[in-house]
Amino acid sequence: MSTETLRDGEGETTSRGLVDRIRASPFLSQLLSNRLALAGLAIIVAMLVIAIYARLTLDLDVISQTQLGTNPNRAAPSLEYPFGTDGQARDLVPRVAYGAWYAMLFGTVTVGASTVLGVGLGIVAAYYGDVTDNVIMRTMDVLLAFPSLLLALALVSIFPDELGLWRAVAALTLVYTPRFARVVRGAALTVLENEYIDATVALGATDPRVLVRHVLPNCLAPITVQSTLNFGLAIIDLAALSFLGFGASAGTPSWGLMLSNGVSQGLLTGIWWWSFFPGLFLALTVLGFNLLGDGMRDALDPRMREAID
Amino acid sequence: MFPKRFVLKRLLLLVPVLIGVATLVFSILHLSPGDPALTIAGERASQEFVERIRADLGLNDPIWVQYIDFLGKVVRFDFGESYVINRNTTVREIMANTLPVTLELALYGQLFGILFGIPLGVLSAVKQDTLTDHSTRVGALAGISVPIFWSGPLLILLFAQVLGVLPTSGRISSTFSVSPIRVTGMVTIDTLLAGEWDMFKSAVRHMLLPSLVIGVYSMALISRMMRSSMLEVVRQDYMRTARAKGQGAKITVLKHGFRNALIPVVTIIGIQFGGLLGGAVLTETVFAIGGLGTLLVEAIEVGDYPIVQGTVLMFAFLFTLVNLVVDITYSYLDPRIQQ
Repeated sequence: MSTETLRDGEGETTSRGLVDRIRASPFLSQLLSNRLALAGLAIIVAMLVIAIYARLTLDLDVISQTQLGTNPNRAAPSLEYPFGTDGQARDLVPRVAYGAWYAMLFGTVTVGASTVLGVGLGIVAAYYGDVTDNVIMRTMDVLLAFPSLLLALALVSIFPDELGLWRAVAALTLVYTPRFARVVRGAALTVLENEYIDATVALGATDPRVLVRHVLPNCLAPITVQSTLNFGLAIIDLAALSFLGFGASAGTPSWGLMLSNGVSQGLLTGIWWWSFFPGLFLALTVLGFNLLGDGMRDALDPRMREAID
Repeated sequence: MFPKRFVLKRLLLLVPVLIGVATLVFSILHLSPGDPALTIAGERASQEFVERIRADLGLNDPIWVQYIDFLGKVVRFDFGESYVINRNTTVREIMANTLPVTLELALYGQLFGILFGIPLGVLSAVKQDTLTDHSTRVGALAGISVPIFWSGPLLILLFAQVLGVLPTSGRISSTFSVSPIRVTGMVTIDTLLAGEWDMFKSAVRHMLLPSLVIGVYSMALISRMMRSSMLEVVRQDYMRTARAKGQGAKITVLKHGFRNALIPVVTIIGIQFGGLLGGAVLTETVFAIGGLGTLLVEAIEVGDYPIVQGTVLMFAFLFTLVNLVVDITYSYLDPRIQQ
């Protein structure tokens, strides 16, 4: 196949070639010159490092156990306990760090699953058109008719309690899928108008081949932007569901649950550190994804590119 | 001219969506794990009681009978009585008490968002690529990134606990009773209508922090939209024409630029209204305000299905309605999209 030979050329990319390629790509060079987007990327990388470090070095059982008697109870932040201790005398530093792992892990699964589902539905709707398109997109319209957090709340109740955070993941995946389907359907419709698609079909390519090898790669840019922006939202919504009591099971070091504790027990007693630190990490992570996603969107919008040149 | 045909078309398109919404809400009850009748009655209830609830809910009927029955209930907006939260009270009655609370919160949040978001967006566009612009844009992104269940508690700690200048929770000081003067169900309006100045002041003081935390989100989105819309308009030919005719820069920006730039901002108000309603659930929880959102959360926790169905439908209905109004307003402002 001719496409195979074309792809082989990629193997020759050297580090110098990579720089040239970045320079040649208006999207990447634009993105890399955006300082805010880079700051966002830096925050995300830092959170990832914290998350992986916490996952590898901390024992979940140990940081979930009560430390009453060992540590001071409800201690304010100090040199020894920089984030203070909670109502069971647990040091908040490892708990907040482990929360990063939860946010990243469950955020990735949620966004990944809704991307796959949405991209599949969107591409199929665009390619087959007609009844298929109508059935898929009208179903998406129904899901979009609900405010997202409220739909997630309603859907969470379908799944059994034992699933913990996974039921929030399942609910939010369904909530976000229509957004991806819409974006991808629009992008795919534009791609399908190109003559090379007609040529591929004329050469006898099967439907799945056309969709996966020719349509999908040309829709990747808007998909990436949507995923990045949605990542921030997913992390906030996962925390929100835990905060409302429909996510992480009690005792889990998730940011949403720690904040819920901070509000229900820390607020009237003036214990600010129960809310402050988990929330700070949550907000920073979300800000990181929003900064990066925003930069990506700007870099992708040709009108913006013109304005800056 | 009022876009009659557009409105009609838009209303017709709404019918299948609303049927879909009702179908989804119907399936939630049937997809939920366990026996809803048992959940409602509680583990220790007698078999007789469970059977009665099952019959009440129509769970013994074939599924399609239940479905048709449910659609009828949706049309009449009658979901029967609450089983757990407020026994023997109709869902409609309970919602009539809680809906104004949520609406009041959403309205003030929206008002805050518009009042601050639009000027900030204009400022950012006019001063493009200056420090003002950069800080406004980062501020807007931060506004979207900060969760309500973090900013809320921190503001309560600061203003209520440390400074002691604002109340921590609720809608009005508990020394007042609002039920005798109830008209709309929104405390700030009812107290004003009754001319109860002290009560009004208390209601406003209770409303400040909740509207701030919920409004920041819509302020952020509106200012972003206003900025990019303004930048787009400034490059239009008619702007250059106006300047070429000798009109001053400020007048041109305000008279031709601002008014045209406002049009796309209308659409964002519809889009972010869903976020505002979701934000209301969180805000009500943080500030202990008993609205539609806290009602839904409680109903899901205890398995009060009639309330779950009623409130979820109400939220979807509100969101759809706002988007319909926004679409119509937009088509009126920009007749090109009626095509």
